[in-house]
Amino acid sequence: MQSNAALEYDYSVVKLFTYTTILFGFLGMLIGTLIASQLAFPELNYLLGEYGTFSRLRPVHTNIVIYGFTLSGIWATFYYVGQRTLKVSIAESKFLTIMSKVHFWLYFVGALIGVVSLLLGFSASKEYAEFEWPIDVVVVLIWVIWGVTMFGLIGIRREKTLYISLWYYIACFLGIAMLYLFNNMEVPTYLVAGVGSVWHSVSMYSGTNDALVQWWFGHNAVAFAFTVPIIAIIYYFLPKESGQAVYSYKLSLLSFWGLMFVYLWAGSHHLLYATVPDWMQTMGSIFSIVLILPSWGSAINMLLTMKGEWNQLTDNPLIKFMVLASTFYMLSTLEGPIQAIKSVNAIAHFTDWIPGHVHDGVLGWVAFTIMSALFHMAPRAFKREIYSKSLMETQFWLQTTAVVLYFTSMWIAGITQGMMWRAVDEYGNLMYSFIDTVAVLRPYYTIRALAGLMYLTGFIIFTYNMYMTITASKKLEEEPQFRSPMA
Amino acid sequence: MFHWLEKNPFFFSVGVFVVIAFAGLIEILPNFAEASRPVLGLKPYTVLELAGKEVYKKDHCIACHSQLIRPFKSETDRYGMYSLSGEYAYDRPFLWGSKRTGPDLHRVGNYRTTDWHENHMWDPTSVVPQSIMPAYKHHFTNIADIDTAYAEAFTVKTVFSTPYDIEGGVKLGTLDEAKVAALAEAKVIAADMKNQNVKDAVTRGEIPEIVALIAYMHRLK
Amino acid sequence: MEIRELQAYANFFFTVFLVFLLYGYIIHLYRSEKKGERDYEQYANIALNDEITDAPVERNPKTLDKKEKGGKIDE
Ligand code: HEC
Repeated sequence: MQSNAALEYDYSVVKLFTYTTILFGFLGMLIGTLIASQLAFPELNYLLGEYGTFSRLRPVHTNIVIYGFTLSGIWATFYYVGQRTLKVSIAESKFLTIMSKVHFWLYFVGALIGVVSLLLGFSASKEYAEFEWPIDVVVVLIWVIWGVTMFGLIGIRREKTLYISLWYYIACFLGIAMLYLFNNMEVPTYLVAGVGSVWHSVSMYSGTNDALVQWWFGHNAVAFAFTVPIIAIIYYFLPKESGQAVYSYKLSLLSFWGLMFVYLWAGSHHLLYATVPDWMQTMGSIFSIVLILPSWGSAINMLLTMKGEWNQLTDNPLIKFMVLASTFYMLSTLEGPIQAIKSVNAIAHFTDWIPGHVHDGVLGWVAFTIMSALFHMAPRAFKREIYSKSLMETQFWLQTTAVVLYFTSMWIAGITQGMMWRAVDEYGNLMYSFIDTVAVLRPYYTIRALAGLMYLTGFIIFTYNMYMTITASKKLEEEPQFRSPMA
Repeated sequence: MFHWLEKNPFFFSVGVFVVIAFAGLIEILPNFAEASRPVLGLKPYTVLELAGKEVYKKDHCIACHSQLIRPFKSETDRYGMYSLSGEYAYDRPFLWGSKRTGPDLHRVGNYRTTDWHENHMWDPTSVVPQSIMPAYKHHFTNIADIDTAYAEAFTVKTVFSTPYDIEGGVKLGTLDEAKVAALAEAKVIAADMKNQNVKDAVTRGEIPEIVALIAYMHRLK
Repeated sequence: MEIRELQAYANFFFTVFLVFLLYGYIIHLYRSEKKGERDYEQYANIALNDEITDAPVERNPKTLDKKEKGGKIDE
């Protein structure tokens, strides 16, 4: 054991990814709030000339929050949880240390170039896969490097069994690798024709096939970026922060395999009533419903972990964040399958209910989980206590209210518009012109923009709190075991 | 027996991969051949239309517009005949969209004119006072990228055997031929427009984005 | 047989197969714990006792080998 005496976990990459999580989180939410406001007040489209319209900024928003904020958060926690649950420090291997640095810097530079390329209009125009092929190549490279560090770390581990979180990180790695590769199969036109823009490419698939692949990707990218790795995060941080072992390890095994299998079937529900065969649509719906069961297994497992310790909920805001996140997770995994029911989908598809649904998931579940993980890691990585508990409380209530405002206004907006599109008078003629159904939404768009502003404010409070924690808070003598110290 | 998996990362990963991969295989692959067959009489896009489609992609009109009419009476009454799989055979990528902040555009070519589009893209509220669609004034000054559009047509022709240059179909030819054809097409549209800059540009032999975009809008029917 | 029919069959088959597998798994887990063959719940402690100086729940023999031979890995 002697050689271990001086060993410590190496948090340098964790810190770097923590910074980018905050940076991209802020940018993504700022742009999100701006485009939400543009729908309520269209004059805001003209702040940045050609680059500031709703349509140009919308993919910038989605890509920053997905590939910037969320991925950074996933990697910040991965380098933390990975080392700790495998009981091996990344500093023990020079090679892995270097690879993890390369991982970060390539990612950071790639992400910046990607964002700028979208602003300039280089886009494949497939939702959440907008990056053109040169960026895609960089993404693949980054992914391979992550694979190297992850499996490298696993290769030199001291703990033989992989902890639950690691299963989910591995699944995230494999799932996204497969989905991203297949969906972004494209032919760069310059290489074939020798003229035109170097950035441009055409999809390998056309029309309906492209749609099938895209929504197989689109749905599952949500699964493997917004569900699987976030479950990985909460499976570590909630037990650790509360000092309670996971309620049932066996249940977590079952939910894992259940989720893996079932999620991939559910992609076709995005194509309801489109031109794909009937049975496929039915299958998609049914499997989405079956999906509730395993994914709730995880959420229930989380909530039951707190059994007998619910008092922590009142006096530890971090636990508050994580428990609420698990609850939002249950909510949105219930909502998704409901929307996949054929008759519901007939109304909900193409309406604001869909962004509403997405946002109770990403704001309530993903962002809450990531922010609480960053809070938990900060005292360990920076060896200082969390700067302010009361700021955390303020942030919590502000953002919770924001999420509720967001999804309630979008539910109402979506259902209202869906009903108006199909409303007919006594002679069977359509009752509303399209613009009627737009005008009626303005109040809800205003509420949503307000909700965005509130959430963003909460994030700024978070940023400030983290900044003060990192730079000015009280130094810690030794690493806290469970509960994070805060002033 | 199962527990063994969590201790053997390699086989664990293989297991996960197999499980997540075959759903895709069963669900998507077998349908490929059938779903890519074009409807009878479908022609590939002309170079100008492709350039317009590029504008549509670049400015992400997909963020607010769908191109997919579902087989409900309320939709066919509003937009026209419901969409067929084979109508999209030459769409790379597909542009169905997922959100209708604005109306569906799959058959907009049937009921909107050049003149209407010109006013609407310049300032939507001048045509539809309550509109929340942004104005796209920069389409009137930016020049469409015909080279890239040609490269796209050339690529789909060579790599995916999209039927250009067949009898009675769309002619592609060489880059220079394609440019001449695109300009001729653009002149027809510009003749119906009143924006002087656009008219001047076309006379000079340049094609502003708006002209290409309108060509693409007309193609949607 | 039409391809679509094949898809439907394949899908049906795999669904049944999975349900079978998953339920078999549940039974297996609980049974082997009841028989005292294995305590699954101990693995939850991997997260709680995760200092680098903490003893692993189960030591990975491969890492141990290297440790005894050459001290630090890589270097
Ligand atoms: C912020 C969302 C938004 C964006 C982005 C957007 N539109 Fe629209 N669009 C609308 C709305 C709302 C309407 C209905 C009111 C109107 O006609 O202006 C509309 C109407 C239209 C119409 C008229 C359709 C009809 O049947 O009357 C066309 C054509 C159109 N848009 C084209 C485009 C193009 C091309 C782009 C991309 C350059 C685009 N739109 C981007 C919201 C949007």
